[in-house]
Amino acid sequence: MSEVKKLRVRLTFPQELIKEPVLFRMAKKYDVMPNIRRARVTDTFGEMILELEGLEENLDKGINSLREQGVVVELIEGDIIE
Amino acid sequence: MKYVKGLKCRECGREYPVEPIYVCEFCFGPLEVIYDYAKIKKALSRRIIEKRPKNLWRYKELLPIDGEPSAGLNSGFTPLVKTERLAKYLGVKELYIKDDTVAHPTLSFKDRVVAVALTKAKEFGFDTVACASTGNLAHAVSAHGAKAGFNRFIFIPATLEQSKILASIVYEPNLVAVDGNYDDVNRLCSEIANKYRWAFVNINIRPFYAEGSKTMGFEIVEQLGWEAPDSIVVPCASGSLLTKVWKALKEFQQIGILKEVETKIYGSQATGCSPISTAFKNGTDVIRPIKPNTIAKSLAIGNPADGFYALQAVKESGGAMEDVSDEEIIDAIKILARTEGIFAETAGGVTLATYIKLLKDGKIDKRDSTVLCITGNGLKTAEVLNGQTAEVYQIKPNLSSFEEILKRIRQKEGK
Repeated sequence: MSEVKKLRVRLTFPQELIKEPVLFRMAKKYDVMPNIRRARVTDTFGEMILELEGLEENLDKGINSLREQGVVVELIEGDIIE
Repeated sequence: MKYVKGLKCRECGREYPVEPIYVCEFCFGPLEVIYDYAKIKKALSRRIIEKRPKNLWRYKELLPIDGEPSAGLNSGFTPLVKTERLAKYLGVKELYIKDDTVAHPTLSFKDRVVAVALTKAKEFGFDTVACASTGNLAHAVSAHGAKAGFNRFIFIPATLEQSKILASIVYEPNLVAVDGNYDDVNRLCSEIANKYRWAFVNINIRPFYAEGSKTMGFEIVEQLGWEAPDSIVVPCASGSLLTKVWKALKEFQQIGILKEVETKIYGSQATGCSPISTAFKNGTDVIRPIKPNTIAKSLAIGNPADGFYALQAVKESGGAMEDVSDEEIIDAIKILARTEGIFAETAGGVTLATYIKLLKDGKIDKRDSTVLCITGNGLKTAEVLNGQTAEVYQIKPNLSSFEEILKRIRQKEGK
């Protein structure tokens, strides 16, 4: 049985996805709750720092779907392996 | 005497008490240690520092601890080598190597950050320290943690080479090889850090751990006779070392040890993992994460946590970022070895190769006094030189065989 988890991530959107409601669609489809803390959009990219909460299985599916669409999903800690 | 005021979010400026936390609860920005510089100015002077033992704790008022240091008592204060043969080879006036290839005890600058992290971990009351690493950090946490009496958990990707494992496992930490890709290991470690009450040196202890890098900057200034050089070239992985070397110079200015700081900071990366250099060259402050592909494994961080801040430090100082190919890295390792007798790991090759490129492009002046931060020992990455080194002369055990070779050697040397 999958458990509820929280994940703090940084999303980077390519230019062509900036106008699409990518996050809302993912949240609705996979029952994941986004809690946005910071965001900025320029002419060439969009960036969002947020927490995602949901069942672990749904979080994985949701993040995979974002990646498949071209969104870069990274932990806010950056790469931990040094 | 306490000199630390607290922690402060680098993004929104919100302040926090000194706790093992690393991220702002509101905006998720990274936390930075802040100090009472007025108090430090009264307590610290060149003369006081000079009287202390030659280790990184001689600057302890500017490090984030409350009591006395308990780890890394022999770490830091590595040589600052004034190069003669290398300077001549490159046609430059004043070139120094900050030589952390001989850092104690694990031969890389990670001995500095881990010394501070473990002293702080002990102050916080942790009995277990942890890290995720493919090399230098694992070695430093394993060794320093053994000496300081901590339980140790070291996480590595299951695919890591045997030679890298050996330099950690010899200290007998709990070495955990995770069967997954790089992203899987990162995510697992983040989860573990949030679940267990352990001192994860580069996660929940990161604000304190990172401060240890400042000692490299402090030492450069002291060893130059209390002067800041014109230029410093620093290798960039997460970007933390560069930001802290810059912070060190500014702190010395703030407490009156340096009158002015006009040093330009230059960041070096391998082209196969150059997210910060790429952002600099593109004139953007957005660091695009990449998948690393370089022989400089100790710099192979595709999503650098401090990339944005490293970029800011480079720009603020008037410096630049540059990146170099794997071939240039190997050439630079060999040049440094044959001119100065210093065997650097691949990151050191990156730094020297970047300096050479910046000189050629006129971005660093040949008349500048320049310090190259060489952060790790070549024995750690010796395999990259397989098939790349000078010839070994094979002879029979008799004089004529030797003299035959000697003739060839002399011909080669033009004698």
